[in-house]
Amino acid sequence: MTFCMEIQPERQLPETVLVETAERVGRIRDGRVVVQIHLSRLQPQNRDDGHVRIAARLFETMVDAYHGQMFVLSNADIVLLCKDARIADLDAVVYKLRALFSKDPLTFSGDTEDDRFASYFDLESEYDDFLELCKRMNAEAKERVKSDRAKPKINDLDAVSLGRVIERIAQTDIASVVRRQPCVYINDRRIAEVVFQEFYMSIADLQKALAPDVNILANRWLFQHLSQALDVSVMTALRKADFKVPPVAFSLNLNMTSVETPQFRDFVGAARGKSGVYVEFQLPDILNNMDQFFRIRDELRGKQISTVLDGLTSLMLQFVDAELYDTDFVKVNWSNDMITDIQTAELQQALGPVGFDRVILARCDNEKAISWGLDRGIRLYQGRFLDSMVAAVTMAKCPNAAPCTFAQCTQRHAVISGRPRAECGNNEKLDEFPPLHAIG
Amino acid sequence: MLVDYLGRLERHRHDRRAVHVHISLLHPNNRKDHHMRIAVGAFDNLIKMLNAQLFCLTSKDMIVVYRAQVQADMEAAIVKIKYLFADDDLLMDENTAGSFCDWYSLDREFDQLMTLAQRLSQEEEARQRKQRIQDARVGIGPAPKGKPFTPELLARTENALSQADIANLMRRQPICAVVDNGPPQPIFHEIFISISDLRETLMPSVNMASSPWLFQQLTETLDRRVLSLLNRHDDRTLEGDISINLNVATLLSEEFLIFDDNIKTSKRGTIVLELQKVDIFADLSSYLFARDFAHERGYRICIDGLSYSMLSFVDRERLGADLIKLVWDNNLSVETQSRPESLRRAGVTRIILCRCDTESSIDFGRSLGISLYQGRHIDATFQDIRRRGTAARARGKRK
Repeated sequence: MTFCMEIQPERQLPETVLVETAERVGRIRDGRVVVQIHLSRLQPQNRDDGHVRIAARLFETMVDAYHGQMFVLSNADIVLLCKDARIADLDAVVYKLRALFSKDPLTFSGDTEDDRFASYFDLESEYDDFLELCKRMNAEAKERVKSDRAKPKINDLDAVSLGRVIERIAQTDIASVVRRQPCVYINDRRIAEVVFQEFYMSIADLQKALAPDVNILANRWLFQHLSQALDVSVMTALRKADFKVPPVAFSLNLNMTSVETPQFRDFVGAARGKSGVYVEFQLPDILNNMDQFFRIRDELRGKQISTVLDGLTSLMLQFVDAELYDTDFVKVNWSNDMITDIQTAELQQALGPVGFDRVILARCDNEKAISWGLDRGIRLYQGRFLDSMVAAVTMAKCPNAAPCTFAQCTQRHAVISGRPRAECGNNEKLDEFPPLHAIG
Repeated sequence: MLVDYLGRLERHRHDRRAVHVHISLLHPNNRKDHHMRIAVGAFDNLIKMLNAQLFCLTSKDMIVVYRAQVQADMEAAIVKIKYLFADDDLLMDENTAGSFCDWYSLDREFDQLMTLAQRLSQEEEARQRKQRIQDARVGIGPAPKGKPFTPELLARTENALSQADIANLMRRQPICAVVDNGPPQPIFHEIFISISDLRETLMPSVNMASSPWLFQQLTETLDRRVLSLLNRHDDRTLEGDISINLNVATLLSEEFLIFDDNIKTSKRGTIVLELQKVDIFADLSSYLFARDFAHERGYRICIDGLSYSMLSFVDRERLGADLIKLVWDNNLSVETQSRPESLRRAGVTRIILCRCDTESSIDFGRSLGISLYQGRHIDATFQDIRRRGTAARARGKRK
């Protein structure tokens, strides 16, 4: 069984070995079939090394019977060449892999004509197409290796580099990577008013500013530890920000431990009388210490600070009873497949006990998200679709809008400091976040 | 603990030795805390490089089990300690000085040392049992104090773990079925690295709870090392049915596939993989993927470390896990009302009550209909029975 996993520069690419094998097989095409599993088409988070490794292992054990040759390509696709195997039998085996990746939209969407997860070749009739495909994949793989080699080497965040990165925070302009996005409440007259501005960090820009030589996202736990230090910097940056119009309310993504820091107390103190405060918590953080969470939630409530259970997806809602956490709001990330009848029904069931009036629908990239939400009775929304509307409405009313483009206005709304803000001719208008009319 | 440790070393005895340092024979004035700290410090380097394992008895005696190749270093350490106590009558008198240390070669004297260890263990258990009951009544728990857990300390610990042989730190603890008033029957053994021992050895007085995320990272590193150790050694640890702690990421790693290869298909059904709730929810879709793979291969999944109040938040059935570990603490008293919904949903037969340190934990479990238990009280009861059995057999032989 040929089984190539890692690409080492000294060894041949699996694609190259596949081409050589395909050429050899050209003379003995009888009864040979090929199946290609397009793992490369899965969403990135569903096809990391671990997933591919497991899929290859399962596939390998299941097709031992067909005395075939299996290749794991450098793009994660799996190709199996075998003899005298019926396509129906292979399909049964592929079905198991399909089930394993069932959470990805690729695996079950579309009909059999349009199957993007797996392809079959009968070499007796389709040999030429197959050989050409192998050659093409080989050429593409070689290109990838070349461009990978040209990229600068980035090391994964580890315990050693973490200490260094934390120290660098003090010398980094954290304000420059802080971003904001409004959350709106759509009322009965379809007018959307901003209820808070969520402040967060652009991870890509943070990476560049703080640690260009370290992949800070490589390790979940270490990144989480880093975020505790960053929470404090963000709060400090926000206090120093020069908002011409104070936000109606600030919403901050914080670790539970960050809520008990003097910086948080100072932040809340400075906002009092001017802006409200919302705090957004992540589920893994909460689960780490539930007693602490309940205590903190109640303390915040006592200070009129609203709590948000953040980061829920339709998948998570199948396993989490959000109402049990009894936060003031629950934030659910929109994805386009939520529009299907099945998902709509599931979400109806999952969010009913929470109360749709307490749901914030986030990542609303298009109008579909808003109309779906309104049909459910959801009133609170965040997302790029709304960001665009905010920019449009602002420009329509801004006396200094003439030299600006729509893209610029959108970008300038999102930052709290630096050149984009300075280049805006009217920071008052930029900070205003006026109501939006006729939504949905 | 010493008994357990020696038991595990049975196959490695050819290159292991031990020394029993009778501090208890010294004058009481010479056995103060600062003396002990210095004495223990003499073995520091050896312990940190994991070439020696120190057992401090409540009598203040020390037993150090070490690799034969560090004999010279051990002798040097003993010389240091003797120098420390040079003024003591015991050491000043040539006739008694020799009784300060007993040296053992595990190759030849394994049984003697084992017998000694068992006797000491019995005495200690009796004392501890009394103490635990007292503590539970008063509600004493460990107080979180100490130095903060920093990335630097984590780096140092991970480095030590990667270089040294951690077999010394591996533990086995049985999960037993206790039905009615019958004796505990071991169903399987959890294999783990004692984090408190690791802390004591490598970073004493550090409060690991101060950095929960670094702690998570540490557990992930430990899991990988345990797996890697199991993959290399064909030792007693893999005998019988076992459970191991894993992060989802480790389950999807190359190391796990090697482990999977080494396990006979028939045995997989008896192996339990323990996952943590924080890890599960940090990346739910990876968990589901890993779970499906594990089930496909025949393993069982256990969700570790749930408190009683958390049962309603982490739904075993929906998550598709086979077992859960419910942590007992002395605030939980016998349930007189009907079983709560959350317990019913979890399925009483799928719950392992762990950290059962006292008799009352068993009473609590029984009141809920739980039959699987793990903890120091179970260990002690189990050891008791084994010993009585051994003694009875010995008596039988003598007749």
